[in-house]
Amino acid sequence: MNWSLIIANALYAAVGVNAIGYALIASGINVHFGYTGLLNFGQAGFAAIGAYAVAIPVSRYDWPFFAAVPLIFVGGILFALLLGIPTLRLRADYLAIVTIAAAEIVRISLNSVRFTWLTGGNDGLQKFTADVESLNPLSPHKYKFWAQTFSEYDLFIIICGWILAAIACYLVYLLVRSPWGRVLKSIREDEDAARSLGKNVFAYKMQSLVLGGVIGALGGTVIAVGNRVAQPNNFGTALTFFAYTILILGGVAKVKGPIVGAIIFWFFISVVDNILAEATRHNELPKWLVSGNNFGQVKFILAGFGLALLVVFRPQGIFGDRRQQAFDVR
Amino acid sequence: MHVAMLRRLTKGGRVVRKLLGGLFVALVVWFAATPSANADGEEITGFVRNEVTKDGKAVREPVPNVKIAISSLDGGSVGVATTDETGKFSQPVPGPGDYVAEIDQTSLPKDVALRQAGQAKLTVNIRPGESQILNYFLGKDTRATKGRWGILPQTLANGVKSSMIIAVCAVGLSLIYGTTGLSNFAHGELVTLGAIVAWNMNQQVGLHVLLAAPIGIAAAAIAGLANERLLWRPLRHKGTSLTSMMIISIGLGIGVRYVYLYFFGGRAKAFRQYAVQKAHDFGPFSLTSRDLVTIGLCLVLLVGFAMYLLRTRMGKAIRAVSDNPDLASATGIDADHVILLVWGLGGALAGLGGILLGLDQQVRWDSGFSLLLLMFAAITLGGLGNPFGALAGAFVIGMFVELWTWIFPSVVELKTLGALATLILVLLVRPQGLLGRKERTG
Repeated sequence: MNWSLIIANALYAAVGVNAIGYALIASGINVHFGYTGLLNFGQAGFAAIGAYAVAIPVSRYDWPFFAAVPLIFVGGILFALLLGIPTLRLRADYLAIVTIAAAEIVRISLNSVRFTWLTGGNDGLQKFTADVESLNPLSPHKYKFWAQTFSEYDLFIIICGWILAAIACYLVYLLVRSPWGRVLKSIREDEDAARSLGKNVFAYKMQSLVLGGVIGALGGTVIAVGNRVAQPNNFGTALTFFAYTILILGGVAKVKGPIVGAIIFWFFISVVDNILAEATRHNELPKWLVSGNNFGQVKFILAGFGLALLVVFRPQGIFGDRRQQAFDVR
Repeated sequence: MHVAMLRRLTKGGRVVRKLLGGLFVALVVWFAATPSANADGEEITGFVRNEVTKDGKAVREPVPNVKIAISSLDGGSVGVATTDETGKFSQPVPGPGDYVAEIDQTSLPKDVALRQAGQAKLTVNIRPGESQILNYFLGKDTRATKGRWGILPQTLANGVKSSMIIAVCAVGLSLIYGTTGLSNFAHGELVTLGAIVAWNMNQQVGLHVLLAAPIGIAAAAIAGLANERLLWRPLRHKGTSLTSMMIISIGLGIGVRYVYLYFFGGRAKAFRQYAVQKAHDFGPFSLTSRDLVTIGLCLVLLVGFAMYLLRTRMGKAIRAVSDNPDLASATGIDADHVILLVWGLGGALAGLGGILLGLDQQVRWDSGFSLLLLMFAAITLGGLGNPFGALAGAFVIGMFVELWTWIFPSVVELKTLGALATLILVLLVRPQGLLGRKERTG
């Protein structure tokens, strides 16, 4: 078993484009769930909108990439309004069910044969990153770090992505420390108390939904641009719950939580995936257990049980503060 | 098995006709399971042939211009193959995995239909470097050509069947919510467990479905009891909040679902018995014996369960805990015992629902999960925690979902979209449900 390759791959996954995208998506959930107590289970819908907001105009209508960037924000805001106006008055568990359904509607529509002319169906869309590639100041050769090589595009996206994630987290940091952020936390702790103090709880929840939704949409854009493809099945419900796992891992209601969580999560997932791939290649595992093409499921199994175990045994995550968690929302 | 069948075929007469159906099914399964030698890339290929009688002999004629849509399991299109003059079609697929082949019945010639209606949509497993052969046989269209209104009774009949299955699966979900307040996102996995265990007993061990089903139901009931005893009761006593428990159930659901995928595989699998049945004609609509048994069994069970809740001491205790756990405990009801019972009964009913669903649409690793949002819609519409409401809600949801396909025919994925839209509408318009009390929210 080639351990240096496994560790190198895992380190790459820990800083790679998926980790960045998931860090942003989980940051959005942090605003919703961590600070406001909104149980948004439809974050995958926001991410899908962020990805297709650039992929469709650039790939199908030849827009310049940066002309499409405002659409990420427009799309995120519109989806938040559409989702929030009817649902934010609902109870926590109803909100959860409605948002999960709304995100599935987005994914199934993007996947639909009917809209293949626009969305590319199951194959998704490609060839929308040319403008980003032309901006790349790095000279085109392979960059080698230890056992891992990066193309100049990967490196550029990783650098830009982490800058974007840092900006987003700093923005969240400033906002949640502001008077506005304190109102959000008061809504999380006791909605009725906030209302009795004359705060328009609905409006604050909506603003929180928009802010977190736009950050989630940016995460979706990063995933699509970094992988050079926007595919509907990258944005299934699993994405939302992986992001919850990441958030809880890093610490709910901690600004750095999503970033720390994403790095740990993707490192771990990559290690497991690579060890199983190597072991299957060298036939080191019994045949009844691993048949060569099902080890890809193991990461879903671990992520699912991991989420449950985290909430049972360490809901504050690795660095979180037990008093600062939103699990006791109604 | 084939040899025995052929030997019996020679006996002639009505037996032949009866057995032909069975042989045909075996052939289809065999064809679908036999990879061809063509190894230069994965593809789905085959023939569409029409059986006609010419000069007193049965002849198979090729049917050109029939469209067969190939898509991935989650509904994304891979391509649409069209048959040529020899009736042959082929569609390359991007790689090994599971695909769905759906024949476009509107592209068939007039007065001709599939001999086996179940062939309209098939799941195909492609292994690396291998292709799969799908052969379709057509025959005289025995269905009277019905107009748009003519198919409405059939749509409603299908709606009754789906709503019964949803109701049986959802009763447990509703009671669990009622007694503990937990929205159990892993309930779909109990449904799937019943189906998968029964399938294994049926196809791997070789038991008849009627013997395999009780084992599946028992497995789901035990899983429900274990759920409560090992996980939810300790958490409840620890004072874990409902939101945490909901997220725990989501994590558990994802984990268990992918364990199923890991061991069961991504392909839909049929039970050995009752998989293909001829429909009984009831005039405006037709149902198979399987459908009738499903509807009858569900109805008896649901009415029986309602009687149990209304008439027996234990049923009354369940309703009391559902109404107010603290008050019930104060009157001497052992709430934990009642909740354990609810998990056991709910699990058993979910397992049965899963088996009925598997008989109706084959068993999949995510059978239950695909039904989960519908179950939530049903119990919400019926008023969360109210088992009679769950029945009423399931009826409305089941009908509504089938009616979507009647209002907007020929869009495959619309059924799911319609279901989700229905769910959202229900929660927005009547969050307290049909029978629920209005409650101040948010």
